[in-house]
Amino acid sequence: MRYNEKELRALSRQPAELAAELGMRGPKKGSVAKRRLVKLVVNFLFYFRTDEAEPLGALLLERCRVAQEEPGGFSISFVEDPERKYHFECCSQEQCEQWTEALRRASYEYMRRSLIFYRNEIQKMTGKDPLEQFGISEETRFQLSSLPRDGQSARVSSRLDELD
Amino acid sequence: MKLHGKSVLSFFHGYRTQAPDQEGILLKKGARNTSYQRRWFILRGNLLFYQEHQADHTPLGLILLENCQVEPRLKATEPYAFTILTPRMEGVGGRAYKLAAESQEELGTWLCALAGVSWRRLAVLLSQLEAQYRELCQAAGQEPSSPPENCDFLATLSVPSSFQELHERFGKEIRMLQASDKGGRSPGKSGAGAQPVFVDE
Repeated sequence: MRYNEKELRALSRQPAELAAELGMRGPKKGSVAKRRLVKLVVNFLFYFRTDEAEPLGALLLERCRVAQEEPGGFSISFVEDPERKYHFECCSQEQCEQWTEALRRASYEYMRRSLIFYRNEIQKMTGKDPLEQFGISEETRFQLSSLPRDGQSARVSSRLDELD
Repeated sequence: MKLHGKSVLSFFHGYRTQAPDQEGILLKKGARNTSYQRRWFILRGNLLFYQEHQADHTPLGLILLENCQVEPRLKATEPYAFTILTPRMEGVGGRAYKLAAESQEELGTWLCALAGVSWRRLAVLLSQLEAQYRELCQAAGQEPSSPPENCDFLATLSVPSSFQELHERFGKEIRMLQASDKGGRSPGKSGAGAQPVFVDE
């Protein structure tokens, strides 16, 4: 799949949501933890050798699971391949929690879903659509219909229909 | 620099059953070959994928849209033409993707769709709504809920119902999921067993 590496490198230079030097270990068996500068920019995680300006690599933080790992670390894995984990070592539990929270919230899909959730809740509580004030009530990406109806959702809702 | 392709393809494939933010045919001017090529474009979040045909399983390419400028091009050889200009940061980047829609209407739809893609924009909107929600909860003496980990609950809502009705519906779903989870597990089985109920994003 083609992508413009320069675009990705430019993205890595944009202001970061979070950046720190962490220990990092790749998913391959026998890989060794190395110190890396890890930088969260929008929904991408970049990692650099600590003394270099160009990133070594980037991960797209969508459909991923971020889990705390004992002691004082966390892992990122992707839903399609949960055994393949990228491990990170933090210097404190506090830093660990800060990162896991930030990474979880970095997903575009998570943010969209959360926005729709709050929109719905606010509408229930006030009778008003909070997106109206921004003039974006009709924007496709913020409609309930834009949310996935995966297999589990379809099964649950059909079971509910049976009960009703 | 390595973009971990699996993370991107995982996203691409994982959402293939979900309607994208926008998709359709666009003409794309090649980087070296300056003729326009017909491609199938798929917009998801702040990523624009393109492939040769609609039915293809793997994208040909990917355009990162964060901080991009999208503008119609009035003097292009193709009608309904527009440009996606990627940002230039500290001397890196800054490429103009020359695209064209196949009708005025499609041009309008794409310009509209591309205008709101930014992750940062979404973050600002989200934080505002989240703050508004918490204030409302505080005023009502209500414990704020967190957005659900998956979309099951939201997907079953078409119209906001009364809080009581929703409370009962959620309770039903939770009890059903708990019941099926217990049924599927048996003591002494190896750890490889049950699928997680909630999927983290």
